[in-house]
Amino acid sequence: MKQNKFNKFLKSIPAKLWLVLGIVIAFYFFLNDFGLVDIQKTAIILAAGIDRKGDEGYTLTAQIAVPKGVDRTTGGTSSVNFIAEGETIADCVSDIYCKTGWVPKFVFCNLIVLGEETAAENVFDAFDFFLRNEYMSDGCYVAVCEGTAQDLLTSESAVANTSSQAISKLFSDTNIKSGKAVKMSLREFAIGYHGATKSGYMPYIRQHVQEGSGGENGGGQSGGGGQQKEQKTYCAERTALFYEGKQVALLNPEETFAFNLIEGKIFNGYLLAEENGHSVSLTVLDDKGGVSLSTKGAPKVTVKVELTVRLFNRTVPVEIEDVAHAELSEELLGNAKKNVEETVKQVFEISRQSGCDLFKLNESLFRSSKSKYEEWKDTLLSAVPATYEISIKSAK
Amino acid sequence: MNKISTRQLCFFLAAIAPVGKIILMPANLVHYAKNDLLFPAAMNFILQAAIVFLVLLLAKNNRSLFELIADKLGKVTARIVLTVFSLFFFFAALLPLVEQKIFVQSVFYDTLPSIVAFSSFFIFSAYLCAKPLSSFGRMWDVLAPLAIAAFIGIIMLSVGAADFGALAPALQSGAKNVFQGFAYNMSWFFDSAILLSFLGKIDYKKGLPWKGLLSYLAGAAAVLLFLAVFYGVFEDISVSQQFAFTKTTRYFSGIETVGRIDYLFIYSLSLVMAFYAILPLQAGIELLRQSYGSREKRLLPALLSIAVNAVMLALTILLDYRYSSLNQAVCVNLFWIFPIFALLLPALMLLFKIRRRRETE
Repeated sequence: MKQNKFNKFLKSIPAKLWLVLGIVIAFYFFLNDFGLVDIQKTAIILAAGIDRKGDEGYTLTAQIAVPKGVDRTTGGTSSVNFIAEGETIADCVSDIYCKTGWVPKFVFCNLIVLGEETAAENVFDAFDFFLRNEYMSDGCYVAVCEGTAQDLLTSESAVANTSSQAISKLFSDTNIKSGKAVKMSLREFAIGYHGATKSGYMPYIRQHVQEGSGGENGGGQSGGGGQQKEQKTYCAERTALFYEGKQVALLNPEETFAFNLIEGKIFNGYLLAEENGHSVSLTVLDDKGGVSLSTKGAPKVTVKVELTVRLFNRTVPVEIEDVAHAELSEELLGNAKKNVEETVKQVFEISRQSGCDLFKLNESLFRSSKSKYEEWKDTLLSAVPATYEISIKSAK
Repeated sequence: MNKISTRQLCFFLAAIAPVGKIILMPANLVHYAKNDLLFPAAMNFILQAAIVFLVLLLAKNNRSLFELIADKLGKVTARIVLTVFSLFFFFAALLPLVEQKIFVQSVFYDTLPSIVAFSSFFIFSAYLCAKPLSSFGRMWDVLAPLAIAAFIGIIMLSVGAADFGALAPALQSGAKNVFQGFAYNMSWFFDSAILLSFLGKIDYKKGLPWKGLLSYLAGAAAVLLFLAVFYGVFEDISVSQQFAFTKTTRYFSGIETVGRIDYLFIYSLSLVMAFYAILPLQAGIELLRQSYGSREKRLLPALLSIAVNAVMLALTILLDYRYSSLNQAVCVNLFWIFPIFALLLPALMLLFKIRRRRETE
C-alpha cells in the first residue's frame, strides 16, 4: 500500500522537481550576479609590465581598464596604470587588491612586457605566476622592451586609447606577414624554454616621441591626471633572443626581416635592393623559407629562402611602360639576393654565437633520433656546417 | 519495459563514454609517458574494447547481472557480488565527480568560486540516479549528436595550432614509463563494468557485440586523435595543462576576431560530461536495486540516490583542494582495483552460458 502511494507520488514528481531545480539554479545564478564582472569592484587587467628591483623582488605595472566616458563621443576604454611592488608577482597582485580594493582579473590580459633588466635574468621566475594562473590565457603576447616596462606601459599612445592596445596592434597578422616584427605567445615561449632547444625569442619594443605631440592632451589615459604628456608611437622591429630564459642577443630590423624570411612567414612584405645606385622596393609575394637538418653521417644544416618578388617602388623617374610592365633586371635581383644572403648568414651566426637555437635544430635532432640528440646536443649549434640556398625570382 | 536499443548503446560507446577521458586524463598521461601518451591510452582502450565485446555477448541472455549470478551461484552470492560491484562504482565515481567540480570551478568562473557553487550538481545527480537505467537510452539519443558535433568543433579549432612532430620520437620515454601511464590511468577506463549494469535492459539484436565493439573503437580513435592534437598544441608543457579540451581551442586565429566561439563546443561537451559523471553512481544504485529491490518498487533507488549523493557531496567538499592526494590514492595507490572490476570480473562473467532467452512478457 505504502509502495503504491510512493509510486503515485513519484509520478507527480518530475514537474515539481524541475520547478524546485529551476528555483535552486536561479538562486545560484543570482548569488553570482549571473557571472557579470562588476567593473566597480574588479580590476580588469589589460597588460602587465614586469621590472626587477635587483634582488628585492619585482615591480608590476598593471594596466587596468576603466570606462572612458558615458556618451557616444567620449565612450570607450581607457586605462589607469597601477604600480605595485612585492617579492613575488603574486605579492604585487595582492598589493593591487590591498591598495585599491579591486579584485585583479587577468582573464583579459593580452600582453606581458618585460623590462630590459628583467630579461637579463631568467624570465621564468616572473612568468611562473602567469603559467600557473588557471584564470588567464597563456595565448597572451609576451615582449621585452627598451628601458623599463613601467615607462612603456605608463606612456601615452598617439594612436590608441591605451599603450597596450597600441602595442598589441603591432602583432596584427598583417604586420607580422610584412616581416617587420615577430610575435610570441606565452605558451610558445614556454614550450621553447622547456623543450629540447631551451631557446626562444620575443619582440623588442621601443617607444618614440610622436612629432608635434606634448602640447596636446590626448585624453586617453587618466594616469596623466590632466597633465600634458608626450605622445608615443611604438615599434617592434627588433627581436630579442633568449637561451635558458635569459636574453642573449638582439636582432636588428634587417635581421628580424631576414629571420621572418627564413621562417617563410612573409607575404606582401617589402625588400630593399639597389639598381644603378638607386634604391628599389620589391614586394615579396611568395616566401618559401625553411631550415633543414640532415643527420645522415655528420649533421648538416641547409638554410633555404625562395622568394617571388614584384617591383613596388623606384626612386627614379621612369617611362610609363615601366610602370605598366616592370621587368626586374638581373642586377636588381642579384643585389637583392646578395642582401638577403648576407643578412640570413648574420642571423644564423648570431643564433650560433649566442646559443639561442632560433631554428630549433636540437628539436629536429631530438625528433629524428634521441640517441644522436644525446650525442650532439651540446655541440650541434656551434659546430654544424651550414649551407645557404637563396633564390629570388620575379613574378611573371 | 523500455529497453536500450542497439543505436542507443552504440551512441553511448562511441560518443558518451569517451568524453570523461579528455579532462584531466591527457595531462596525467603526459606526466608518466610524456610524448608517448598515445600508447598507454591505446592499450587501455584495446583491453576495454575486448571486454565490452564480451559483456555485449552476455547481453544475449537477456538477463540482469543479478539473475545471471543468482542462477549459477545462488541469490546470496549474487547479492554479495553486486554489493561489492556497487561499492566499486561509488569508489570509481569519486574521481570523475571531483574532476567535474574542479573543472567547473576553473573554467566557468574567472576567480575561484565558493565551495557551495558546485553543490547544486548533486540535486541534478540525485534526480537522475533515481531514474531507471533504461531511461538513459533516450538521453543518449539527445546527448550523442551534441557530443559528436562539439567534439568535431573542438578538433577543427585546435588542429591548426598542433605540431604533430612533437609526438616523435616514439617510445623514447621507455617501457617503464609507458606501462606506468597505462596502469596509473586505468581509473578512467571502466566502461565495460558500467555495461554490466545494463545487462537485462539491452534490446539484443544480431550483431550487437560487433557493432558495440566498433562503436567503442570509434570513440577510442576520437580520444586518441584528441590526445595527439593536445600534445601537438602544448608539447613539452602539456603536463601542466589541466582540463585539456577547454585549452586547445584558444589558439584558433579566428577567435581574436569573432570572440570565444569555442565556448559553444566546450559548454556542449560539458553538458554531456555532467551526464557521464553521474553514470557510475547510477550503475551502483541499479546493482543495489537488483539485489535488494524490484523493478516495480522505486522507493529503494530514490532513497539510495539521496543517500549516495549526500555522501558524494560531503566527500567533494571534504576533498576540496585535495585533488592531488585523491589522484595519487585512486590512480596510483589503488589503481589495481580498476583492472579487477573493469577487466577481470567482467571477463569471468563469460563463464555463464551465453544463450538467447525468450522474453516471457
